[in-house]
Amino acid sequence: MWYGGEDATSDWTAPGNPLLRLDFFEEASLPGQDEVVFFEELYRSHGARMKSVAYNILGNPSDAEDAVQEAFLRAYRGIAAFKGTAQGSTWMYRILVNACHDMGRQRRRRRDETELVPEDQLPASTAHAATDAPLRMTLEKAVAALRPRHRDVFLLFEVEGFLHREIAEILDIAEGTSKSLLFEARRELQSTLGDVRGRQA
Amino acid sequence: MSYTDEEISRAARQLRREWESPELWPRIQAALAAEAARIERRRAPSRVSAWLTLAAAAAALVFGITVVLRGRAPQAGAPPAEAERRLLTDRALREVERTEGDYVRSIEALSRVAEPKVEEAGSPLMMSYREKLLLLDSAIAECRAGIDRNRFNARLRRELLSLYQEKQHTLQQVMKEDPDAL
Repeated sequence: MWYGGEDATSDWTAPGNPLLRLDFFEEASLPGQDEVVFFEELYRSHGARMKSVAYNILGNPSDAEDAVQEAFLRAYRGIAAFKGTAQGSTWMYRILVNACHDMGRQRRRRRDETELVPEDQLPASTAHAATDAPLRMTLEKAVAALRPRHRDVFLLFEVEGFLHREIAEILDIAEGTSKSLLFEARRELQSTLGDVRGRQA
Repeated sequence: MSYTDEEISRAARQLRREWESPELWPRIQAALAAEAARIERRRAPSRVSAWLTLAAAAAALVFGITVVLRGRAPQAGAPPAEAERRLLTDRALREVERTEGDYVRSIEALSRVAEPKVEEAGSPLMMSYREKLLLLDSAIAECRAGIDRNRFNARLRRELLSLYQEKQHTLQQVMKEDPDAL
């Protein structure tokens, strides 16, 4: 069964997907045998999810693809550091999130109203329930306005389906901090979205 | 009225995005290849400079030992011990030892580069190189022990130089060999 590849139409966060397991990297062929094969395997397994993570941090598909490419380059340069680590998948996502933040700072891109990509040019959402479209759009803006750490935790947990244990490793924070940041992010979003709903009512 | 956590979670799942980008992996692959080439280019000059350092150190050592050997040649009419005291001064010896030290360090650096290749390869040729290097190291250690007993022993110093030259030559051969092709 193929998960998360270019032609994947399945939900890669579906329960049972072996690629979601932290030990996937330990089972995949390790760098040193053939680095290009290793990275290709990595891309096939995680590329789609990496693009989605990057998209939600950076706000447009072109920057997201650049960030994924940059993450692979950084991983290649730092591959020696990976060899000694046990959690390869979270290592890769950590590199990606850092690359996104660096690119975000460099390009000074903010996902405010003026720079948002028009809705019809956005990549398709993997969820097919379009009935909540207005809420989704409002939520997207509200998430973009969160503080970076809160936003990262919210995106990784709620959007991408990572566990707190994994988020803690990706963001190099304690598991408890991840839970606490998620709680605060939800409260902040509830408040923002509540205001919007109130105005609409 | 605010949204519940469940409503937010449901809406958040719709933020997940998926799109085709068939050109992305080839782009990454090309970037990785370019990076590998860049790293290789950066390594290449350092290898050249390592060889140059090694060659310069070897030349200096040969020159130093020649000076010492000339100095040790007894002059007609003078007692050998007197000639030795006159011509082979501590200063000259220190110079030889310093140059020798530089040369040895250069060979050790080369050894460190070649070592993984020798250790990892399982071909008969590489195994014979490995044995030869072990023999050379053992002979070098023996020679050094002799020099420690008599620092002025020019014959042993000449022998040590020739052993180091042989080791250098062997390491160069190892670096040239492709272990997989053997």
